[in-house]
Amino acid sequence: MTQQGVDAPGPQGAAAVVEPAEGADGALERIRTLVRGQQFLLLIALVVLVVFFTIERSAFISQTEISNLLNDWSTVVLLAVGETFVIVSGGIDLSVGSTVTISGVVAAKVMGGMTGTSEPVILIVGLLVCIAIGLLVGAINVLLINVARLVPFVATLATLGAGAGFALVISGGAPVGADSQAIEFTTPKLWVFSWPVLAIIAIVVVSYLYLHYSRFGRFTFAIGSNRFAARAAGIAVKRQIAKIYMLSGLLAGITGMFYFLRLGSGAPTSGSGEELQAIAAVVIGGVSLLGGVGRLGGALIGAAILTVVTDGLVIINVNPNWNQVAVAGLIAAAAALQALRPGRGLTSSD
Amino acid sequence: MYGVMSRGRNRLMLAAAALVAAFVAALAASNAQSQAATANKVIAFNVGAASDPFFVAMEVSADAEAKKLGYTVDWQGAPTEYSPATQIPIVDTQFAQKPAALIIAPTDPNALQAPVNQFIKAGIPVVNVDTHVTKLGSVLSFITGNNANGGQNAAKALAKAMHYTKGKTYQVAVGLTSATTTTNVARLAGFKQEIKQHYPGIKIVAVGYSQSQPTKADANVSNWLSSFPHLSGIFAIDGTNASGASAAIEAHNLVGKVALVGYDAYATNVALLKKGVFSALIAQNPTQEAKLAVDDVVKYLKHHSKGGIKHLVTLPNIVLTPKTSAAALTKYTYPAP
Repeated sequence: MTQQGVDAPGPQGAAAVVEPAEGADGALERIRTLVRGQQFLLLIALVVLVVFFTIERSAFISQTEISNLLNDWSTVVLLAVGETFVIVSGGIDLSVGSTVTISGVVAAKVMGGMTGTSEPVILIVGLLVCIAIGLLVGAINVLLINVARLVPFVATLATLGAGAGFALVISGGAPVGADSQAIEFTTPKLWVFSWPVLAIIAIVVVSYLYLHYSRFGRFTFAIGSNRFAARAAGIAVKRQIAKIYMLSGLLAGITGMFYFLRLGSGAPTSGSGEELQAIAAVVIGGVSLLGGVGRLGGALIGAAILTVVTDGLVIINVNPNWNQVAVAGLIAAAAALQALRPGRGLTSSD
Repeated sequence: MYGVMSRGRNRLMLAAAALVAAFVAALAASNAQSQAATANKVIAFNVGAASDPFFVAMEVSADAEAKKLGYTVDWQGAPTEYSPATQIPIVDTQFAQKPAALIIAPTDPNALQAPVNQFIKAGIPVVNVDTHVTKLGSVLSFITGNNANGGQNAAKALAKAMHYTKGKTYQVAVGLTSATTTTNVARLAGFKQEIKQHYPGIKIVAVGYSQSQPTKADANVSNWLSSFPHLSGIFAIDGTNASGASAAIEAHNLVGKVALVGYDAYATNVALLKKGVFSALIAQNPTQEAKLAVDDVVKYLKHHSKGGIKHLVTLPNIVLTPKTSAAALTKYTYPAP
């Protein structure tokens, strides 16, 4: 981190400094501060994108398409939420994509063996299996990070590979199960919302409160800002780290169940690369990869922007090769925006 | 500070050593059977993306046929990456073990020529399956499916499912894995050629890539259904796209309303075909390809002559529909271990 990074005030700090200013100068400074706030700019970007795609194709805001967008946002948002906790704490979790895959495949195997049981019971068991697998992967990450003392990048890279490999071994490479009744659960039941999407929104709201309004959240930020100071302040750093990676695993497991519901099967490649989508959403959302800084709201909007761009380009029928270019451009723009913010940056000089 | 780093490094090395030891032990256990076989009874079989159900079906079939003929198969391939960069080192390792023969599905015709040449130079016969090296004359035989023909059959099946009538227009979308996947390219070319020649009323209005993710294929189809409310049909060009497209059609309650032709007879896809979610499935014949390859190799090893071995065998891609007999569906469903 640069000297500027330590000393310069953040957006809120800047606002506090100019508080006594009066008249046109003060108003101008307040506007500048607001505009510099990454979430505000992201929201504007999201609105502009939605307007653009709607002008191009009015079908973009049809009831069916909003439902599609919510479904697609839900596939990445829980991973982004887990990743936000991890990244704010100064770590990274690369294993979430594999956790989605392995939990979906194992749950599909278990559910496939429950013939004669009613569908809701089967799906509840499936969800419990996914949660158990998610927590197990989280626990392995914790062991590697806290006990073997691997850096999170290496530890979760190992579980990423192992999870993907196990999913292939268990599934034999082919999708497991063909459950049409499960797919039925992902169709809209309350206007554009399906039950799983509503459940995911509820989890997102609870997570938001947890990160920004609880002691757990404050400890997470404290560890990410300065691990040594956090320990000196009496925070049980290792225990906190353990809870954070278990939470990330848990959310990835729940996402694995959502993937199963969408496909009606556990596919051995379903979560491949999803960790990068989640990290992209978090980075676009303005959460600093250096740890200690970020708002979950930003990550949620980041995930929404990714979804809107990816689906929007399909809706307006742009050559699909441009999709990856567009997402890469978004990440670069968001990182540049962070660098422009006072105090924090992701430029190479850091 | 140095002490802390050194302790950290020691623990890291200890953890790495433990992981490597566990890995080697697991590999040794899994290979115990093949180690037991004598080298001259081992047929090396090498494919790209070994976990692909198409290749898994080949593995099951090759194992069974080799066992019947008194041989064992050393099955190798990168788990998911279909690339010469990952395939060549594995082929080289197999060469070092001096097997009796090599059956290979090269991921690139030029890049795999040299690794194949070293086998031929050492007097080890080589058979190509599915794909081939540049100098096809250098290998004992080449057994493949016809992907372009599969694409043509898909166009015919889709036209039939949409009740194609001359003079009418039909909007169709195609789901691919990527723009460069060789089998996708061949199938799409065959599909387009058939449309151009016999079904001018069919218009391909959208093409999307799944990047091997069924959820992405699902999202693509869901978006097309919003963007093209008059969409009549979808060609899901491989197994991944078939899984995603069928889920999207079911989620939007459009089974029977939007014609869906998929590819690859995974057990899950065949189950959905029976339910009418797919109008048709195009099935390759990996079981037969692998069986014929093993037969060719064993024939050559026994008689040291190419007599009775057909150099080029092209197996047709089969069209399966909900009306196909149960026996035929079972026959063409890709077997899994």
